Amino acid sequence: MAISPAESQQDQPHEASGSAGASSGASPRKVALVGLPNTGKTQVFNNLTGEYGLVANYPGTTIDIRRSLVTIKAQRYEIIDTPGLRSLYIHSEEEVAVRDMIFFEKPDIIVQCIDASQYKQSLLLTAELLELGIPMVLVLNAMDDMSRHGLGVDAAQLEKILAVPVAGSVALHGLGQEDLTAVIGKAKKGRRDVTYGVKIENSLRELALALPFDLEFKHKIATLLLQNDPFLEKFLENKFGTEKLAPARAVLNAVRHQVKGNLRQIISDRRNQWVDTVAAAVLKKQEGVRQGLSFHLTQASRQPLLGIPIFLFLMAVVYLAVVYVSGALDKFINFIAVTPVTRFITSFSLPAFWNDLLIGNHGILTLGLFNAICTVLPILSVFFFIFGCFEDSGYITNFTVLTKNVFEKIGIPGNAITSLVLGFGCKTMATLSTRSLTIRKEQYIAVFLIAFAIPCSAQLGISMAILARVGLSAFVIVFAALVVCEVGAGLFLNTIIKGKEASWFIQVIPPLRFPSLRAVSRKTYHRILDFLKEALPIFLLSAVGLFIFEKTGLLAMTKQAMTPMIVNWMGLPKDIIDVFLLALARREAAAGLILKMVDSGALTYVQSILAVVVTTISFPCVANVIAIGREMGWKTAVIMTALIFVSSFLLVGGLRWILVLFLGH
Amino acid sequence: MPMMRNVEQDEHIEQLWYMKEQNVAAMDFLKKAMEHAFDPKIIEGLVEIGWVDMAADGLTVRLTEAGEARARQLIRAHRLAERLIADVLGGGDLEAIACEFEHIVSPELVNGICTLLGHPKECPHGMPIPEGDCCKLAHKSALSLIIPLTDLKPGESARIAYINCRNDQQIHKLEGLCIRPGVIVKLHQDFPTYVIECEGASIALDKGVVANISVWKNPRGNDLAGADKVPGKEAHPGALKKFVDAFFSRKTG
Repeated sequence: MAISPAESQQDQPHEASGSAGASSGASPRKVALVGLPNTGKTQVFNNLTGEYGLVANYPGTTIDIRRSLVTIKAQRYEIIDTPGLRSLYIHSEEEVAVRDMIFFEKPDIIVQCIDASQYKQSLLLTAELLELGIPMVLVLNAMDDMSRHGLGVDAAQLEKILAVPVAGSVALHGLGQEDLTAVIGKAKKGRRDVTYGVKIENSLRELALALPFDLEFKHKIATLLLQNDPFLEKFLENKFGTEKLAPARAVLNAVRHQVKGNLRQIISDRRNQWVDTVAAAVLKKQEGVRQGLSFHLTQASRQPLLGIPIFLFLMAVVYLAVVYVSGALDKFINFIAVTPVTRFITSFSLPAFWNDLLIGNHGILTLGLFNAICTVLPILSVFFFIFGCFEDSGYITNFTVLTKNVFEKIGIPGNAITSLVLGFGCKTMATLSTRSLTIRKEQYIAVFLIAFAIPCSAQLGISMAILARVGLSAFVIVFAALVVCEVGAGLFLNTIIKGKEASWFIQVIPPLRFPSLRAVSRKTYHRILDFLKEALPIFLLSAVGLFIFEKTGLLAMTKQAMTPMIVNWMGLPKDIIDVFLLALARREAAAGLILKMVDSGALTYVQSILAVVVTTISFPCVANVIAIGREMGWKTAVIMTALIFVSSFLLVGGLRWILVLFLGH
Repeated sequence: MPMMRNVEQDEHIEQLWYMKEQNVAAMDFLKKAMEHAFDPKIIEGLVEIGWVDMAADGLTVRLTEAGEARARQLIRAHRLAERLIADVLGGGDLEAIACEFEHIVSPELVNGICTLLGHPKECPHGMPIPEGDCCKLAHKSALSLIIPLTDLKPGESARIAYINCRNDQQIHKLEGLCIRPGVIVKLHQDFPTYVIECEGASIALDKGVVANISVWKNPRGNDLAGADKVPGKEAHPGALKKFVDAFFSRKTG
């Protein structure tokens, strides 16, 4: 299958594989991939479509619904990947999107992904999905993990009980895909045998009849109404208006009076009983399976005594890899590409203008192409690879447990820690992932902190490389400063923003597994590809822009105007303006320039530290601002950006004076 | 003068308590709810002894403070009995047994059962159990057979007895993770935050959430987590069962 580059978050499906022979007339059958968080839906999606959607071993990797068209056995399908869903009874906005998709689009087939570590939990969702009456297929994912846990599933028996096809799979390694493609056309409605007793069933029927006539899935919606789903009543109200809902509301009130006890409880008790029965018939457990290394590592990684050393060790690995591996890559690319090309151009002895435009200080090649592929790319590749390993190992969620207390003391709720850590990968994705936070105050703080002093992978890798040239102490100082900024901002926001109740923290922790080299490489490849597609043109354009700025004398004027701010307050050389201007376009481009200034001795020890801090926190990148706008509204996005911009300059100035006080010069 | 405490009277008082829970006071509602068991004479009697207030037009009825006190006792006994039967005695006809039970136990005995059960806040149907003196003192009694999950030590397993939680969203989320009565959980760690294992999944929880989960103090055996048993009612801790058996044989015998 041809791999088409990832273009995530699109609403319109597009062709993924060469489906030239497909019939064009018939509309494709919609296949919704549904399942609990972190059960491998996106991996199955990738395997089916040949596209690439980000996969990682933590709950909530997929944020948006994603579609793709494929042809399987001459039948066209529209495959729909969705964020995790625990139940059709909704807890957060991101789950609403999945439920709305199901209710509105009425997919022709639902493929439920089930992960070994959450087998019974998944069956609870199965019970609900069966109630929809949509043909289903079950995918038992991570079968390898399952056998490692000493668990076995009698798939044939499960198929018999549910009356839907079941396919086994290890999606991460691409196994079992044939199974799935073979059964996907045979999806069946399944047997709905969870019933809620005569009284409730009668009430459900009555309620379903009273619901607006053009509503789909009346029975399921009636059940959710009896369960008191907080999002559904509001939604129906908006869609149909109070008047059309009045009969249903009357029935609902009557039922609530008639049936004694907690309806939600009675309904879920019935489902639990059903799950227990099914699991007892299907689940085979092998006794005496020894807990493996991964279990002990998981345990160790989230307890302070061993967890902190493990964390520090991992950080050291990142640091050393970024510094040495990317250093070596850098030299290698320099040797095979940059030096020959420069020599080649010089050999023509072009006029000064052309020479400058190409390989001058602000030349397109020097500052654009070479900067991107020689300086930035090696660092990013190494960092992406390591971060990918972290993501796939499941370490990030375990880290959440280790640090929860500390984070909560400074006003960051436990639920937000994963988003914050993801900020080290990409701030934009991290911002979007805060959608799962149900309390506005918590989301506000998390979004701000992500945009503020957390360096994203691009910045972090390059900052490490810069600071490594100045010395390890500089690295420690910068990160201490960033931590202080972040904590300060957290405490500050936590005191000034008035919030209602604190949320509660319930988080499933994925087991640590050894990251698959193939999956991590593929992920790194796609991230680098994205970087090149997005950033390379900007690198080139900004180089041209800066070149024009220089030649027209505007650059000198700007430098003159900014002198009081830059030189007097922040103690940086005038030439750092080049860096700021580049940073406006793309932060890595700026960092590449800092690297060069450090190498040429244009920046002192303290100045290097300040330059890295100011480029890290000065302002969020455009994509990040757009993400903030999407999640929090545009007004908030503008306020946050302005706040971050102003405070960064104040903070860096302050840091300068502290450093001068303690270190001299 | 000793008050006449018959079953019919108690049932009227209970119904008035349910109405109070639903914020209703209409006489018609009472009549409808009690059907043929409704007896205007009993209401008159209750008004006489000062347990019930009736409006002059006879359209609304309410419990007085004294009436409420009696109703609280009854409801408390009823719902605790339901808990006892559901959690300890393996289910059965909750309603029928609890109805008998509430009329024959003394408040002291009810407090004793409440303590043994670890001061539950809700009956198995999710209705609130009125607090007794024992709950207000909130003593952690050595007598309790049911303790909060927070009292376990890391590495210990226990069977969940019930979950005290008023937040529907929270309890639904817990149930989605299979954290519910009858299931065995293992506490992996309690610092920096709680991590439990439940049906194969590791789950991190706040102290606030964990404190709401009550577990049996003595599960049979020490390491039951993951044991492939359908959570059934066979593992009743012996002591309480004996106590209950003794109680019923004394009453009936």
